[in-house]
Amino acid sequence: MIKFSNVSLIYPHSTKTVLENLSLEVQEGEMLLVMGQTGSGKSSLLRLINGLVPHHTGGILAGDISVDGISTRSVKPGALAHIVGIVGQNPINGFVTDIVEEELAFGMEALNYPQDVMRKRVEEILDLLGLNSIRNRTIATLSGGEQQRLAIGAALVMHPKVLVLDEPTSALDPIAAEEVLSLLHRLVHDLSITVVLAEHRLERVIQFVDRIILIEGNGETSIGPADVVLKTTELVPPIIKLARALNLSEIGTSVREVRRQTSQIREHSNMPSSGSDAPLGRTDAIVEVHDLTISYGNKDAIKNVSSTFFAAEIVAVMGRNGAGKSSLLESIVGAIKASSGTVTVASKNPFTLKASERRNTIGYVPQEPSDLLFGSSVEAECTQADSSNALEPGTTFSFLSRLTPTVSLATHPHDLSEGQRLALVLSIVLSSNPEVLVLDEPTRGLDYQAKNLLAIALKEFAANFGRPVLLATHDVELVAELADRVLFLAEGEIVADGSTLDVLLSSPAFAPQVAKIMAPAPWLTVDDVIHGLNLKSL
Amino acid sequence: MMRTPLHPLTLWIGAMITAVAVAINSSYLFNIGVVGALVLLVLIRRDGSPWNSSFWWALKIGAFILAIRAIFGALIGVPIPGTVIFTVPRLSLPTWMPGIRIGGDVTLERLSSSIAEGLTIATIIALFGAASALTSPHKLLRVLPFFIYEIGITLVIATTVFPQLAVNVRRIRTAQRMRGIEKLSISSIATPLLEQSLIRSLQLAESMDARGFGVSRKRSRYRPSRWQLRDSLYVASTSAIAIVSFAS
Repeated sequence: MIKFSNVSLIYPHSTKTVLENLSLEVQEGEMLLVMGQTGSGKSSLLRLINGLVPHHTGGILAGDISVDGISTRSVKPGALAHIVGIVGQNPINGFVTDIVEEELAFGMEALNYPQDVMRKRVEEILDLLGLNSIRNRTIATLSGGEQQRLAIGAALVMHPKVLVLDEPTSALDPIAAEEVLSLLHRLVHDLSITVVLAEHRLERVIQFVDRIILIEGNGETSIGPADVVLKTTELVPPIIKLARALNLSEIGTSVREVRRQTSQIREHSNMPSSGSDAPLGRTDAIVEVHDLTISYGNKDAIKNVSSTFFAAEIVAVMGRNGAGKSSLLESIVGAIKASSGTVTVASKNPFTLKASERRNTIGYVPQEPSDLLFGSSVEAECTQADSSNALEPGTTFSFLSRLTPTVSLATHPHDLSEGQRLALVLSIVLSSNPEVLVLDEPTRGLDYQAKNLLAIALKEFAANFGRPVLLATHDVELVAELADRVLFLAEGEIVADGSTLDVLLSSPAFAPQVAKIMAPAPWLTVDDVIHGLNLKSL
Repeated sequence: MMRTPLHPLTLWIGAMITAVAVAINSSYLFNIGVVGALVLLVLIRRDGSPWNSSFWWALKIGAFILAIRAIFGALIGVPIPGTVIFTVPRLSLPTWMPGIRIGGDVTLERLSSSIAEGLTIATIIALFGAASALTSPHKLLRVLPFFIYEIGITLVIATTVFPQLAVNVRRIRTAQRMRGIEKLSISSIATPLLEQSLIRSLQLAESMDARGFGVSRKRSRYRPSRWQLRDSLYVASTSAIAIVSFAS
């Protein structure tokens, strides 16, 4: 269906080869996962398939790519619109119209399809993707999961033979992500559509894919079935780390497989069957939220929430899209005013803090870290942070280089990878040594290495300075690794608040894969398993 | 149940006819009646789209204009003799500006004619506010002839981008305020904003390209708007009201 013959790709003004001499054939009805570090060229590979690279981006392409027998060199991307459907990383940025139904029809209108065909196909897609109840809604009012499904629908309505998706689940909560992935699985199996997708959260997808192509970042690639490719690389999800730690002969990609392989281990070791975490009996409260309600119009985003956050505690705020996570965090940092109730941070009202007092009290990393970056280079940003906090010149940059050693001072913030940009913002925010650190969805678009660095930095900050860290996230594996305590929100109310172990284990949707495999043992991470079974660490 | 919308042009035509009537017949009662009817219309027909709020904005702007018109009309301009309500100290103007006065006696006649003029302007604004609140500009563009359609698409994108720009500016500003950056500076907001907008427009262009925009010279329409009986009824009844108001 898709054929890459000796493809090499290099962008202008760049010395880095993205792909070198790649030959690859993707069969009809195959599901192929593209993986690699951030910035390694995953998106480029995806967009080569319908010719957006190089037609749209420029770049030097050697070799040939053909889709369904048509060479992408000879035609514009639009001419492949009925063969290749592509769903970008931020679907909201790719929507052209403002109503769900019209968005679905847009591509067909552009290709001058007759009206009766359009009506029929739109109905089909509305049913197939479960969009019927929102067909007249304004796109801006849809949830993340709905937008993702709409973007997939808008591609599928053209009856493409190939569907290309760039990080389809990165903005979604675990439940919405599962919906999207099982939809893709069904499309592959029922309609034999070829699916190529890039994804960082491998734990979510590897069980569905037939083959993996790993892009090394220096032009090299390796292709093969999941268990072969994942045997050698460092970018592996916890489920593979577990298999390595337990010295399993085969690598399983789903909970079911690994559970079968580990049944002996679970039977023979005397495993504890209930949680034994230290009780959360801390006394030094830093952030106090009392009976907080936040309303937008007549809708309550947060309803009568009370909670206290203690020193040196890492708290993950979880919940589905729209559960009120961001609202809670924004009121703690003082970005929005409480409709009723009080919030205090280090006995101050966060809403009235100004300038340096604010910097010294609250560190906030917003959902879009680049909102804080307006310098012309990494150096400018770091110098600014040093001078505004009266630090010795170079302090911020040395902290940054500990997080990501490869960043150079002259780089423009825009050219940094997602992980590096987050590290830069984190360094700037931490340069004022705030009393509390708050992060809103820090792991979007981060690979495992970047997430690991983030986890280490946050743990260090919490432990060394005894400061609380609050983060909103969908990433259960990160939460399992990092957080001491989980606050679970639903419809603006706290539905669970307790140790990470208790909260994650009690919810099947939010339990990490390691916990599902090792159940009933109360282990969340590979390290827990290693300690629990007294294995030697790898 | 979904309500079938009126033809996108219906409300605009109705608004224009009524606006003419309002401009000619400047009676309080008629104007207030029109605004009242518009409020009812918007309350009944609104569909939860972001455009709906434009009517309430139109009302606010109208009220603001009415207030300004009333204050200035009462204080500045050609005096109309009649019942004096109150007197403000009068500014003495040079002799080469006869007939104009600032301050002085505020008469009932003067005030009421200013308010009537303000009300007319406010009513006309409310009329078009209601029309744009109930027909999304996107739908309006769809009924335009084909040669405008391509320009129309550009306009549609622009109209969706502007609200998003506003949201982005607010978000960036908040993020920076949370960083203790109190001073508003153009570059600190423009840099991230431009960067994000540029990324967005590139992605949009890619998406349109990938979905075959501009491949075929002819475009079909998914759901063409048809002029129906009730559209004619609506226009006829607004015309009738206008004629009656002229006659009275």
